[in-house]
Amino acid sequence: MYRLKVNGQTHEVDVEADTPLLWVLRDTLGLTGTKYGCGIAACGACTVHVDGTAQRSCVLPVEAVGEAEVTTIEGLSPDGKSHPVQRAWVELDVPQCGYCQSGQIMAAAGLLAGNADPSPNEVRDGITNLCRCGTYERIHAGVKRAAELMKA
Amino acid sequence: MTTMPLSRRGLIKSTALAGGGFALAFALPLTTRYALAETPPETSRVTAFLEIYPDGTVRFLNPFAEMGQGVYTAIPQVVAEEMDADLARFIVMQAPVAPEYKVLFDGTLRFTGGSTSVRGSFGAMRNAGATARAMLLTAAAERWGVDPSELAVENHVVRHAASDREAGFGDLAQQAAALEPPREVTLKDEKDFRLIGQSPPRTDTPLKVNGTAWFGIDTKVEGMVHAAIRQCPVFEGKVASIDDAAARKLPGVVDVVNLDNAVAALADSWWRAKKAVDAVDITWDEGPLADFSSEGMLNDQMARVDETGVPAEDEGDAPKALRGAETVVEATYVLPFLAHATMEPMNCTADVRADGCDVWAPNQGADSVATLAEQVTGLPHDRIRVHTPYLGGGFGRRFIIDYAAQAMLLSMKAKRPVKLVWSREEDTTHDYYRPQTVVKARGAVKDGRIQATHITVVGDGPLRRHMKQFLADPDLDESVFEGLVTKPYQIEARRTDYVYHEIPVPIGFWRSVGNSVSGYAYESFMDEMAHAAGADPMDFRLAHLGEGSSARGVLEKVRDIAGYKKGIYDADGERRVMGIALHESFGSMVGEIAEVSIEAGAPKVHKVWCAIDVGTVVNPAIVKAQLMSAIAYGLSAALIEEVTLEKGRVQQANFDTYPFLPPDRMPEVVAEVLTLDRPMGGVGEPGTPPIAAAVANAVFQLTGERVRRLPFGRRELKQVEAEGATVKG
Repeated sequence: MYRLKVNGQTHEVDVEADTPLLWVLRDTLGLTGTKYGCGIAACGACTVHVDGTAQRSCVLPVEAVGEAEVTTIEGLSPDGKSHPVQRAWVELDVPQCGYCQSGQIMAAAGLLAGNADPSPNEVRDGITNLCRCGTYERIHAGVKRAAELMKA
Repeated sequence: MTTMPLSRRGLIKSTALAGGGFALAFALPLTTRYALAETPPETSRVTAFLEIYPDGTVRFLNPFAEMGQGVYTAIPQVVAEEMDADLARFIVMQAPVAPEYKVLFDGTLRFTGGSTSVRGSFGAMRNAGATARAMLLTAAAERWGVDPSELAVENHVVRHAASDREAGFGDLAQQAAALEPPREVTLKDEKDFRLIGQSPPRTDTPLKVNGTAWFGIDTKVEGMVHAAIRQCPVFEGKVASIDDAAARKLPGVVDVVNLDNAVAALADSWWRAKKAVDAVDITWDEGPLADFSSEGMLNDQMARVDETGVPAEDEGDAPKALRGAETVVEATYVLPFLAHATMEPMNCTADVRADGCDVWAPNQGADSVATLAEQVTGLPHDRIRVHTPYLGGGFGRRFIIDYAAQAMLLSMKAKRPVKLVWSREEDTTHDYYRPQTVVKARGAVKDGRIQATHITVVGDGPLRRHMKQFLADPDLDESVFEGLVTKPYQIEARRTDYVYHEIPVPIGFWRSVGNSVSGYAYESFMDEMAHAAGADPMDFRLAHLGEGSSARGVLEKVRDIAGYKKGIYDADGERRVMGIALHESFGSMVGEIAEVSIEAGAPKVHKVWCAIDVGTVVNPAIVKAQLMSAIAYGLSAALIEEVTLEKGRVQQANFDTYPFLPPDRMPEVVAEVLTLDRPMGGVGEPGTPPIAAAVANAVFQLTGERVRRLPFGRRELKQVEAEGATVKG
């Protein structure tokens, strides 16, 4: 049994120690906004925040989470649309199929939390999540726009 | 949520209309809006595209699956145009399986692919919108006792200016529902379009920024168990025996099921199911393909490039012209198997009961899911409901619904709902691959002109494999030679031979299908012929394109927006070249110019300029996004993607061994959408075919090395140092 703090709520979950946080979120807690893409931390579709830092939850065993605060896409903003990254994503219609976008948004929000004004190179190095639809250019534009919205 | 059985309320107008075969309905009030993830109630019996609620909300049932290509915006956009409705008030949902939703090919087919959705349903969707508008207008006219001609409709409101009265669509809906739909409606003059040709916001974006968009993998059904699967690593192989004793003892495990060519474990979470299936000791009977290798098959294909095949095109006497020619160019191109690598792995949830079944299947053809369900479950058609979620990418993979059959079988065995999710490894190793194909081209060139071309393609196609019934002649499988024939270039003698070479492993439709092969081979060869003629590749192409043609218009446009430079030039301390390619597919003409340098032995693509002629454009922003996406997909394949098989096994498994284009290799894309004189063309795929050739053509100019086997990543290109030279040429 593990006690997990997710999106401000504490949950007790009865799973094995090596269960990746991703599957606890999706199957035990029903938070399916966080996606499974590869299971080897290669694509980033499963990105969540652990104590504010973007992490790939598909390789993070639940026992390693401990007392940390986990934030998923469902908890990024109270209304599901007001985080600057979400606002920017809507403004620029960033997603296509959308499957990777929870992870992209969490990666972008994580980057901006630590660096309010990242350079294009910092965005490129900071968000390595894959997108099969090729929305990369709008993701980069979205991060730039979100940074502007955060300043405003 | 209110789950009102709409069809039983007797207020649904469901009338077949002349020519269109669609119907409209105006629904009763609902106390709550449907959540977008919900499937409409009584899905198999609601025969309608549109339902209007008292608050003016329009529920639009879309016959096409949204997989990123924008049909949840562009299709209702067309409806809203003719309806004079406010697109922002549309809720877009997936239509159930019903004949009314077969809107393609004169009302005979429903599928999502072939870059067909918007162009194939444009007329039907305009009709649907215009019919709704006419009924709302008539309702208002009857209410106010005025002539319909005195009324105006604008942005969801009907107005009578003379008496200063107005009524919203929501207010009029119930009254309109009592009317017979008109037999004929008048469509707008194109010059009066106010929404078609604009780029309103996508209807799916808000759901895709907060995790609420429902993908198949997110399906939750009461009483559901999770399934993970291991399929025989060798195609056509079977399970010889299993030892599942250890697996069954693991926590949460419900069952282990032998599916004959695969083993699945069922558990109370997917991770537990995955651990269980990995713990099953399986002995495989590897079957007839245990010695198959893709390289071995390639050798066989290469040995056949000079065979006479079935003529896919034969104009003039190209072989004779080539025999008598002074300058003959010959080149053979090799293209590998490719995986689709959709971000969302294959998955399906099925609930098969004695009295019916529900299938939640990401798919590109809902009707084929229903047909499959009949076959697998033995249930009659009217007891089967198919639910189509948002697709986490399709690219042609989800035409083939092998995973849906597995989920149904597992549900039948478990007697409860089962959600089957393939691991990434299963997804990569059990795809339906872009066929490995060899193309040999021969061209006679004289005085700067092509006298004759003779092309031979050796391979196998997904049409013959999966949709033979649509081929007039099974030997003429256009999914193999499309894009090698009916070229825009003026060449007098042309022959294309199709040499059928059966591929024993699964093949399928991969974004742009045969054009992903032909675009690379043909347009690489154009540059090879230009080089032999001593001509600049742009000039050489233009010399073979008719004045005023779409192809010429597109090529000139992309030349101009790129500021095309001939030969090698220096930029940012690198030597760079602009490579060109031009390719028509799915009814659209696309020209691309790639600016390329060589970095660490690989092509570095800095920027791609792209022009497309689509004839008529509905949503330019979506078209541009699709071009960017199609270029990413094609460039990814050209640079790094390759599926190989040894001992009957796919050698790549996850994104570490089957990587695709990462963000730092994505070039800037500048796209221009043209509407020249052609019927409306497709959008989702035509951007993919040219990019590999555009890059290959640039690489040749830079390095002198002609890359004739993809991907580029197979070899290290020689470094090209900047010399401080200015433009050559």
